[in-house]
Amino acid sequence: MVLLEPDPFLSELHKMYERNKNGSVWITMKRSNMKPRKTKKPDPKREYVCLIRANDGKRHISTTVSPTQYAKFSQSMVIIMKGAMADTLKRKEKKKDK
Amino acid sequence: MYVEDFEAFYEQSVALYQANPLATRYTIKFRHSEGKVVLKVTDDRTCLKFKTDQQVDLRKIERITTIFFPLMACGELPAEGQDAAATAQQAPAAAAAQAGAGGKKARRRG
Repeated sequence: MVLLEPDPFLSELHKMYERNKNGSVWITMKRSNMKPRKTKKPDPKREYVCLIRANDGKRHISTTVSPTQYAKFSQSMVIIMKGAMADTLKRKEKKKDK
Repeated sequence: MYVEDFEAFYEQSVALYQANPLATRYTIKFRHSEGKVVLKVTDDRTCLKFKTDQQVDLRKIERITTIFFPLMACGELPAEGQDAAATAQQAPAAAAAQAGAGGKKARRRG
């Protein structure tokens, strides 16, 4: 499991989607109170982070997003996801498809 | 357990998360070869899943993903929490507003 910074994570995620046109990609998000190893006493009130993992069955990558970073990160991640999924998913039969 | 209706899935997911934030995880599985997306929210007791292969549902995926980011990164978001309930009722407009604001949106009080 490789713990990456948010930006490299996003580019790895993109590559992972590119590589797995015949397979699956899982993204898991959870709230974490994981501490950097230096801080021994966790302060329950602050510094929860959002832990994000991606997995294609062969490689795992992960990153953490702090409350200050999430807005930008979530936008970028959604764009990557949509980019990867948009071509594959079925269009609606109506004319009005996105 | 698969939930057919997205709105129900959305509400139940947020409720499940809020009941037990540290134990709940949210997974997006994308199966490229079949063109299928499965969203899953579970706290290891209850498991909620939503499955789609429609492109129009991308917007829903985006919506639920962008709500989980602030929930998970900042934890308690009372304003957003209330909005989430309100959002579920006025789905399309609110979803668009939320997508545009990137998860941060103005409070709406009726």
